[in-house]
Amino acid sequence: MDFRGIYDRLRAMKAPGMTGCDEPREKNPEDKKDKGRFGDPYVLVEPALLPAFLDAVRMDAHLAFEMCIDLTASDPSTDDENLWVIVQLLSLTHKHRLSIKCLLPKANPVMPTSVPVHRTCQWHERECAEMYGITFEGHPDPRNILLPDDWVGSPLRKDYEFPEEYHGISCK
Amino acid sequence: MGFLEKQFEENVLTTRVDWLLNWCRLSSIWPMTFGLACCAIEMMAVGCAHHDIDRFGAGAFRASPRQADLMIIAGTVNFKMAERIKRLYDQMPGPKYAIAMGACATGGGPYYKYGYTVVKGVDRVIPVDVYIAGCPPRPEALLEGLMKLQEKIQGSSIIRKPARTA
Ligand code: SF4
Repeated sequence: MDFRGIYDRLRAMKAPGMTGCDEPREKNPEDKKDKGRFGDPYVLVEPALLPAFLDAVRMDAHLAFEMCIDLTASDPSTDDENLWVIVQLLSLTHKHRLSIKCLLPKANPVMPTSVPVHRTCQWHERECAEMYGITFEGHPDPRNILLPDDWVGSPLRKDYEFPEEYHGISCK
Repeated sequence: MGFLEKQFEENVLTTRVDWLLNWCRLSSIWPMTFGLACCAIEMMAVGCAHHDIDRFGAGAFRASPRQADLMIIAGTVNFKMAERIKRLYDQMPGPKYAIAMGACATGGGPYYKYGYTVVKGVDRVIPVDVYIAGCPPRPEALLEGLMKLQEKIQGSSIIRKPARTA
C-alpha cells in the first residue's frame, strides 16, 4: 500500500491517537516565501496513545506493521515548544512502511513506553531518554545506554549547556 | 669504544649499557591492542602484510596491558573510556610509552566543538610521547611516529632520569 492507502485505512479503522498527516508538496509558485515540503509523508499521533496506536496497526490485517525499524527523537529548534518523537514501522507481510511523528511538549516530556508492543524499542527509548530528557513511563530498564551513569543534562537538546569538567577532566 | 678497543680477543663486542638497553627496548616495542574508532582501521593496516609494523619490532599486538610497552591511542576518546584508559595505562609495566594517533586523540578532532562526551585530547588523562597528525593518519605516518618514539628511546638513559612530559 502507498501512503494514501495506509492513511485511508488508518482513518477507516479509527486508529487510536491519530490526529492527522503531513505529506510533501511542491512549492507554490505564487507565494515567494513558500518553500514547499520535501521528505517522507508521516502521520501525527498523540504521544500518550502511541503504544495503543502501534498495537492497533500491528494487529490490523491490512496494515500488519509488525516491525519497528526505529524510534528516535529530535529537537527542532529552541523556539519550538515541542520535541518530536519519530517512529518508523515496516510491514514484512505487505512490504510497506510508515513514519509516525509525536509532538511531545518540552515542558513535560513524559510518554508511555512502547516496549510491551515492540521490544526493540527498549534501547531506542533509553537513548531518547538520555539524549532528550524524555521519560518513558513503564520502561523495564531505564538506565543510560551510551552516556556515563552520572551524566548531567540532555546533550541533544538545543538548549544544552556543555559541562565544564567531568570527573576532574576539563571539557573546554 | 676508546681504550677498550683491541684489548680483547676477536668475537668480543664492547658497548655501553645504555646503548644496549635502549637498543633492546626500541627493537621490541610491543603495542597494546587499543583501537577506539576509525583510526584503528589504519592501525590494523599497519599491522598487516603491506605495511608490516613487525619490520620495526612492534608487531606483537598484546591483548593485555601487562604485556605491553606502548599504548597506541587510535581513535576518539570519550569520558567513559578516559577513565579506563587511565587505569589500563597504570597497569602497564614501565618503561611505557603512549602514542596519540590522529586528530581525535591529539585534541578532540572533528568533535572538538560539539562532541559533548569527547575528551579534547588524551594527554589530559595520560602522558603522551608522540602525537601523529591526520584524520586518519596514513599508515606511513604511524610508522614515522613509531620511529620518532624509537629516536626518543635511543636518547634515554638508565642513570639519567628520562625526559618525560607529565
Ligand atoms: S582522527 Fe579522524 S579517523 Fe581518527 S578516530 Fe578521529 S575521526 Fe576517526
